[in-house]
Amino acid sequence: MQGLRQVERQPARQEGSAPWESLAWLLRLLVGCMLIYASADKILHPQDFASIVKDYRLLPEVLLHPVAIWLPWFELLLGVCLYTGFWRHGALFLATALLGAFWLALIVNYFRGIDVGCGCFTSTPGEASPMLWYIGRDALLLTLPLAAWEAGRRAEAQQA
Amino acid sequence: MRHAPRILGQSLGILALSAALAFGVNAARTDGLPLAYAAAKSAVQLDASGGEISVKDAALLLLTGRAVALDARSQLEYEMGHIQGALWLPPREFAAQFQDIKPLLAGKEAVITYCDGEHCPLGHNLAQHLRGAGVKNVFVLKNGWALWQAEKLPVTKGPAMSSLPTKGQEGICRDCGK
Repeated sequence: MQGLRQVERQPARQEGSAPWESLAWLLRLLVGCMLIYASADKILHPQDFASIVKDYRLLPEVLLHPVAIWLPWFELLLGVCLYTGFWRHGALFLATALLGAFWLALIVNYFRGIDVGCGCFTSTPGEASPMLWYIGRDALLLTLPLAAWEAGRRAEAQQA
Repeated sequence: MRHAPRILGQSLGILALSAALAFGVNAARTDGLPLAYAAAKSAVQLDASGGEISVKDAALLLLTGRAVALDARSQLEYEMGHIQGALWLPPREFAAQFQDIKPLLAGKEAVITYCDGEHCPLGHNLAQHLRGAGVKNVFVLKNGWALWQAEKLPVTKGPAMSSLPTKGQEGICRDCGK
Protein backbone atom coordinates (compact mmCIF):
# COMPACT_ATOMS: atom_id res chain seq x y z
CA MET A 1 0.00 0.00 0.00
CA GLN A 2 3.03 2.23 0.45
CA GLY A 3 3.36 2.40 -3.31
CA LEU A 4 -0.28 3.35 -3.78
CA ARG A 5 0.02 6.27 -1.40
CA GLN A 6 3.21 7.44 -2.94
CA VAL A 7 2.51 9.96 -5.66
CA GLU A 8 5.54 10.24 -7.91
CA ARG A 9 8.13 12.56 -6.51
CA GLN A 10 8.69 15.77 -8.36
CA PRO A 11 12.32 16.61 -9.10
CA ALA A 12 13.66 19.71 -7.39
CA ARG A 13 12.25 22.69 -9.23
CA GLN A 14 14.78 24.71 -11.21
CA GLU A 15 14.55 28.31 -12.29
CA GLY A 16 12.48 28.66 -15.49
CA SER A 17 10.83 25.25 -15.43
CA ALA A 18 7.80 26.40 -13.43
CA PRO A 19 5.70 27.70 -16.36
CA TRP A 20 6.10 24.44 -18.32
CA GLU A 21 5.46 22.40 -15.25
CA SER A 22 2.34 24.40 -14.47
CA LEU A 23 1.14 24.06 -18.06
CA ALA A 24 1.73 20.30 -18.03
CA TRP A 25 -0.17 20.02 -14.74
CA LEU A 26 -3.04 22.14 -16.07
CA LEU A 27 -3.32 20.09 -19.26
CA ARG A 28 -3.23 16.81 -17.34
CA LEU A 29 -5.94 18.15 -15.08
CA LEU A 30 -8.03 19.12 -18.10
CA VAL A 31 -7.66 15.71 -19.76
CA GLY A 32 -8.33 13.99 -16.44
CA CYS A 33 -11.56 15.91 -15.84
CA MET A 34 -12.64 15.28 -19.42
CA LEU A 35 -12.11 11.53 -19.07
CA ILE A 36 -13.92 11.36 -15.72
CA TYR A 37 -16.85 13.26 -17.21
CA ALA A 38 -16.84 11.06 -20.33
CA SER A 39 -16.91 7.86 -18.28
CA ALA A 40 -19.85 8.73 -16.02
CA ASP A 41 -22.78 8.28 -18.42
CA LYS A 42 -21.26 5.13 -19.91
CA ILE A 43 -20.84 3.54 -16.48
CA LEU A 44 -24.44 4.40 -15.58
CA HIS A 45 -25.91 3.04 -18.85
CA PRO A 46 -23.89 0.00 -19.94
CA GLN A 47 -26.55 -1.34 -22.34
CA ASP A 48 -26.70 1.94 -24.27
CA PHE A 49 -22.93 2.16 -24.43
CA ALA A 50 -22.70 -1.44 -25.66
CA SER A 51 -25.01 -0.60 -28.57
CA ILE A 52 -22.79 2.38 -29.46
CA VAL A 53 -19.69 0.15 -29.39
CA LYS A 54 -21.54 -2.24 -31.71
CA ASP A 55 -22.46 0.61 -34.08
CA TYR A 56 -18.77 1.30 -34.67
CA ARG A 57 -18.57 -2.15 -36.32
CA LEU A 58 -14.89 -2.47 -35.59
CA LEU A 59 -14.89 -5.24 -33.00
CA PRO A 60 -15.80 -8.92 -33.31
CA GLU A 61 -18.99 -9.85 -31.42
CA VAL A 62 -17.06 -11.72 -28.75
CA LEU A 63 -15.34 -8.48 -27.68
CA LEU A 64 -18.36 -6.13 -27.77
CA HIS A 65 -19.56 -6.58 -24.21
CA PRO A 66 -16.14 -6.97 -22.56
CA VAL A 67 -14.99 -3.73 -24.19
CA ALA A 68 -18.26 -1.95 -23.32
CA ILE A 69 -17.84 -3.04 -19.70
CA TRP A 70 -14.15 -2.19 -19.40
CA LEU A 71 -13.72 1.00 -21.43
CA PRO A 72 -15.69 3.42 -19.17
CA TRP A 73 -13.81 2.23 -16.07
CA PHE A 74 -10.55 2.54 -17.94
CA GLU A 75 -11.45 6.14 -18.78
CA LEU A 76 -12.42 6.81 -15.18
CA LEU A 77 -9.19 5.38 -13.79
CA LEU A 78 -7.11 7.31 -16.33
CA GLY A 79 -8.98 10.47 -15.36
CA VAL A 80 -8.41 9.89 -11.64
CA CYS A 81 -4.70 9.17 -12.21
CA LEU A 82 -4.24 12.32 -14.29
CA TYR A 83 -6.20 14.39 -11.79
CA THR A 84 -4.29 13.17 -8.76
CA GLY A 85 -0.90 12.79 -10.42
CA PHE A 86 -0.64 9.16 -9.36
CA TRP A 87 0.94 7.02 -12.11
CA ARG A 88 0.71 10.14 -14.26
CA HIS A 89 3.28 9.09 -16.88
CA GLY A 90 1.50 5.85 -17.65
CA ALA A 91 -1.91 7.52 -17.48
CA LEU A 92 -0.88 10.27 -19.89
CA PHE A 93 0.55 7.72 -22.31
CA LEU A 94 -2.63 5.61 -22.20
CA ALA A 95 -4.90 8.66 -22.47
CA THR A 96 -3.03 9.76 -25.60
CA ALA A 97 -3.33 6.26 -27.06
CA LEU A 98 -7.04 6.10 -26.16
CA LEU A 99 -7.91 9.44 -27.72
CA GLY A 100 -5.83 8.53 -30.76
CA ALA A 101 -7.69 5.24 -31.09
CA PHE A 102 -11.07 7.01 -30.82
CA TRP A 103 -10.00 9.48 -33.45
CA LEU A 104 -8.83 6.75 -35.83
CA ALA A 105 -12.06 4.80 -35.29
CA LEU A 106 -14.10 7.86 -36.28
CA ILE A 107 -11.97 8.44 -39.37
CA VAL A 108 -12.22 4.79 -40.44
CA ASN A 109 -16.00 4.87 -40.10
CA TYR A 110 -16.21 8.18 -41.93
CA PHE A 111 -14.48 6.65 -44.92
CA ARG A 112 -16.62 3.50 -44.65
CA GLY A 113 -19.67 5.75 -44.85
CA ILE A 114 -20.91 4.67 -41.42
CA ASP A 115 -22.42 7.58 -39.55
CA VAL A 116 -22.03 6.57 -35.91
CA GLY A 117 -23.22 8.38 -32.81
CA CYS A 118 -19.84 9.24 -31.30
CA GLY A 119 -20.59 8.00 -27.77
CA CYS A 120 -17.69 10.15 -26.61
CA PHE A 121 -19.39 11.93 -23.73
CA THR A 122 -22.80 10.31 -23.59
CA SER A 123 -24.22 6.85 -24.09
CA THR A 124 -27.41 8.21 -25.66
CA PRO A 125 -27.57 6.81 -29.20
CA GLY A 126 -29.76 9.74 -30.22
CA GLU A 127 -26.78 12.06 -30.06
CA ALA A 128 -26.07 12.73 -33.72
CA SER A 129 -23.84 15.33 -35.30
CA PRO A 130 -21.92 15.27 -38.57
CA MET A 131 -18.99 12.87 -38.45
CA LEU A 132 -16.58 15.62 -39.49
CA TRP A 133 -17.55 17.57 -36.38
CA TYR A 134 -16.69 14.58 -34.19
CA ILE A 135 -13.41 14.03 -36.05
CA GLY A 136 -12.43 17.68 -35.71
CA ARG A 137 -13.38 17.80 -32.04
CA ASP A 138 -11.49 14.60 -31.23
CA ALA A 139 -8.43 15.92 -33.08
CA LEU A 140 -8.49 18.97 -30.82
CA LEU A 141 -8.95 16.80 -27.74
CA LEU A 142 -6.00 14.67 -28.83
CA THR A 143 -3.78 17.75 -28.84
CA LEU A 144 -4.33 18.17 -25.09
CA PRO A 145 -2.40 15.09 -23.87
CA LEU A 146 0.18 15.64 -26.64
CA ALA A 147 0.69 19.19 -25.42
CA ALA A 148 0.92 17.88 -21.85
CA TRP A 149 3.70 15.50 -22.98
CA GLU A 150 5.58 18.32 -24.63
CA ALA A 151 5.18 20.69 -21.69
CA GLY A 152 6.36 17.98 -19.30
CA ARG A 153 9.34 17.23 -21.52
CA ARG A 154 10.37 20.90 -21.62
CA ALA A 155 9.98 21.25 -17.88
CA GLU A 156 12.24 18.24 -17.34
CA ALA A 157 14.76 19.54 -19.88
CA GLN A 158 15.03 22.83 -18.03
CA GLN A 159 15.38 21.07 -14.71
CA ALA A 160 18.23 18.91 -16.03
CA MET B 1 12.91 7.22 -23.54
CA ARG B 2 14.32 7.09 -20.01
CA HIS B 3 10.74 6.98 -18.75
CA ALA B 4 9.87 3.95 -20.87
CA PRO B 5 10.09 1.28 -18.11
CA ARG B 6 8.11 3.47 -15.74
CA ILE B 7 5.44 4.21 -18.39
CA LEU B 8 5.17 0.53 -19.23
CA GLY B 9 4.82 -0.52 -15.60
CA GLN B 10 2.27 2.16 -14.80
CA SER B 11 0.29 1.41 -17.97
CA LEU B 12 0.08 -2.28 -17.11
CA GLY B 13 -1.02 -1.35 -13.61
CA ILE B 14 -3.78 0.93 -14.90
CA LEU B 15 -4.96 -1.67 -17.44
CA ALA B 16 -5.10 -4.41 -14.80
CA LEU B 17 -6.73 -2.25 -12.15
CA SER B 18 -9.36 -0.88 -14.55
CA ALA B 19 -10.20 -4.39 -15.78
CA ALA B 20 -10.55 -5.68 -12.20
CA LEU B 21 -12.76 -2.72 -11.28
CA ALA B 22 -14.88 -2.95 -14.43
CA PHE B 23 -15.60 -6.67 -14.35
CA GLY B 24 -15.96 -6.73 -10.57
CA VAL B 25 -18.56 -3.95 -10.53
CA ASN B 26 -20.30 -5.40 -13.59
CA ALA B 27 -20.67 -8.75 -11.82
CA ALA B 28 -22.05 -7.07 -8.72
CA ARG B 29 -24.59 -4.74 -10.33
CA THR B 30 -28.08 -5.94 -11.22
CA ASP B 31 -28.10 -4.27 -14.64
CA GLY B 32 -24.63 -5.53 -15.59
CA LEU B 33 -23.93 -6.73 -19.10
CA PRO B 34 -23.46 -10.43 -19.84
CA LEU B 35 -19.93 -11.05 -21.08
CA ALA B 36 -21.19 -12.75 -24.22
CA TYR B 37 -22.97 -10.59 -26.76
CA ALA B 38 -26.39 -11.99 -27.68
CA ALA B 39 -27.15 -11.86 -31.38
CA ALA B 40 -30.49 -10.44 -32.53
CA LYS B 41 -33.49 -12.48 -31.49
CA SER B 42 -35.47 -14.43 -34.04
CA ALA B 43 -38.60 -12.73 -35.36
CA VAL B 44 -40.45 -15.93 -34.47
CA GLN B 45 -41.10 -16.20 -30.75
CA LEU B 46 -42.76 -19.53 -30.08
CA ASP B 47 -44.70 -20.44 -26.96
CA ALA B 48 -42.78 -23.25 -25.29
CA SER B 49 -46.03 -24.95 -24.32
CA GLY B 50 -47.04 -25.41 -27.96
CA GLY B 51 -50.46 -24.53 -29.38
CA GLU B 52 -51.32 -22.92 -32.69
CA ILE B 53 -48.89 -21.12 -34.97
CA SER B 54 -49.55 -18.34 -37.47
CA VAL B 55 -48.95 -18.90 -41.16
CA LYS B 56 -46.29 -16.17 -41.13
CA ASP B 57 -44.29 -17.85 -38.38
CA ALA B 58 -44.81 -21.28 -39.92
CA ALA B 59 -43.65 -20.05 -43.34
CA LEU B 60 -40.54 -18.46 -41.88
CA LEU B 61 -39.59 -21.58 -39.95
CA LEU B 62 -40.39 -24.03 -42.76
CA LEU B 63 -38.71 -22.04 -45.55
CA THR B 64 -35.53 -21.72 -43.49
CA GLY B 65 -35.51 -25.44 -42.67
CA ARG B 66 -35.96 -24.86 -38.93
CA ALA B 67 -39.24 -26.75 -38.75
CA VAL B 68 -40.91 -29.85 -40.17
CA ALA B 69 -44.47 -29.84 -41.52
CA LEU B 70 -46.62 -32.91 -41.01
CA ASP B 71 -49.68 -33.27 -43.23
CA ALA B 72 -52.56 -34.85 -41.32
CA ARG B 73 -54.99 -35.10 -44.26
CA SER B 74 -55.81 -38.16 -46.34
CA GLN B 75 -53.25 -39.70 -48.66
CA LEU B 76 -55.23 -38.62 -51.72
CA GLU B 77 -55.33 -35.00 -50.59
CA TYR B 78 -51.61 -35.11 -49.81
CA GLU B 79 -50.79 -36.49 -53.22
CA MET B 80 -52.86 -33.83 -54.97
CA GLY B 81 -50.80 -31.12 -53.28
CA HIS B 82 -49.07 -30.36 -50.01
CA ILE B 83 -46.70 -27.90 -48.37
CA GLN B 84 -43.28 -28.32 -49.93
CA GLY B 85 -41.20 -30.62 -47.76
CA ALA B 86 -44.15 -31.79 -45.66
CA LEU B 87 -44.31 -35.39 -44.52
CA TRP B 88 -47.55 -37.35 -44.65
CA LEU B 89 -48.61 -38.60 -41.23
CA PRO B 90 -52.37 -38.85 -40.64
CA PRO B 91 -53.40 -39.62 -37.03
CA ARG B 92 -54.68 -43.09 -37.94
CA GLU B 93 -51.24 -44.01 -39.35
CA PHE B 94 -49.37 -42.58 -36.39
CA ALA B 95 -48.58 -45.85 -34.62
CA ALA B 96 -47.36 -47.48 -37.82
CA GLN B 97 -45.27 -44.65 -39.22
CA PHE B 98 -44.06 -42.48 -36.33
CA GLN B 99 -40.86 -44.44 -35.75
CA ASP B 100 -39.82 -43.83 -39.38
CA ILE B 101 -40.49 -40.12 -39.12
CA LYS B 102 -39.13 -39.56 -35.62
CA PRO B 103 -35.46 -39.15 -36.66
CA LEU B 104 -36.47 -36.41 -39.10
CA LEU B 105 -37.93 -34.30 -36.29
CA ALA B 106 -34.71 -34.19 -34.27
CA GLY B 107 -33.04 -30.81 -33.93
CA LYS B 108 -35.92 -28.82 -35.37
CA GLU B 109 -37.26 -25.75 -33.61
CA ALA B 110 -40.85 -26.74 -34.33
CA VAL B 111 -42.98 -29.58 -35.63
CA ILE B 112 -45.99 -28.12 -37.44
CA THR B 113 -49.08 -30.18 -38.13
CA TYR B 114 -51.73 -29.02 -40.55
CA CYS B 115 -54.99 -29.99 -42.11
CA ASP B 116 -57.45 -28.14 -44.35
CA GLY B 117 -60.47 -26.16 -43.14
CA GLU B 118 -61.21 -24.15 -40.01
CA HIS B 119 -62.87 -27.09 -38.26
CA CYS B 120 -60.70 -29.97 -39.43
CA PRO B 121 -59.60 -31.79 -36.22
CA LEU B 122 -56.83 -33.87 -37.80
CA GLY B 123 -54.05 -31.34 -37.20
CA HIS B 124 -54.88 -31.13 -33.49
CA ASN B 125 -55.29 -34.91 -33.24
CA LEU B 126 -51.88 -35.48 -34.78
CA ALA B 127 -50.37 -32.87 -32.46
CA GLN B 128 -51.82 -34.74 -29.47
CA HIS B 129 -50.30 -38.02 -30.68
CA LEU B 130 -46.93 -36.33 -31.13
CA ARG B 131 -46.98 -34.76 -27.67
CA GLY B 132 -48.00 -38.10 -26.24
CA ALA B 133 -44.97 -39.66 -27.89
CA GLY B 134 -42.72 -37.09 -26.23
CA VAL B 135 -42.19 -34.70 -29.16
CA LYS B 136 -41.71 -31.12 -27.95
CA ASN B 137 -42.47 -27.86 -29.75
CA VAL B 138 -45.50 -29.23 -31.60
CA PHE B 139 -47.65 -26.52 -33.19
CA VAL B 140 -50.85 -26.66 -35.22
CA LEU B 141 -51.23 -24.52 -38.31
CA LYS B 142 -55.00 -24.23 -38.26
CA ASN B 143 -56.59 -24.35 -41.74
CA GLY B 144 -52.98 -24.71 -42.84
CA TRP B 145 -53.36 -25.97 -46.40
CA ALA B 146 -55.81 -23.22 -47.39
CA LEU B 147 -53.75 -20.47 -45.74
CA TRP B 148 -50.51 -21.75 -47.28
CA GLN B 149 -52.03 -21.72 -50.76
CA ALA B 150 -53.62 -18.31 -50.22
CA GLU B 151 -50.17 -16.86 -49.55
CA LYS B 152 -48.80 -18.57 -52.69
CA LEU B 153 -46.14 -20.32 -50.63
CA PRO B 154 -44.28 -23.25 -52.24
CA VAL B 155 -46.28 -26.46 -52.67
CA THR B 156 -45.61 -29.77 -54.39
CA LYS B 157 -47.63 -32.75 -55.61
CA GLY B 158 -46.74 -36.38 -55.51
CA PRO B 159 -46.78 -39.56 -53.49
CA ALA B 160 -46.30 -39.64 -49.78
CA MET B 161 -42.56 -39.25 -49.49
CA SER B 162 -40.40 -37.30 -47.11
CA SER B 163 -38.52 -34.70 -49.08
CA LEU B 164 -36.39 -33.66 -46.13
CA PRO B 165 -32.79 -34.39 -47.02
CA THR B 166 -30.94 -36.38 -44.41
CA LYS B 167 -27.42 -37.76 -44.31
CA GLY B 168 -27.05 -39.84 -47.44
CA GLN B 169 -30.79 -40.31 -47.65
CA GLU B 170 -32.98 -38.84 -50.37
CA GLY B 171 -36.19 -39.37 -48.46
CA ILE B 172 -38.44 -42.07 -47.15
CA CYS B 173 -40.82 -43.44 -49.72
CA ARG B 174 -43.90 -44.74 -47.96
CA ASP B 175 -46.02 -45.86 -50.84
CA CYS B 176 -43.54 -46.69 -53.56
CA GLY B 177 -44.32 -49.94 -55.27
CA LYS B 178 -47.65 -50.34 -53.54
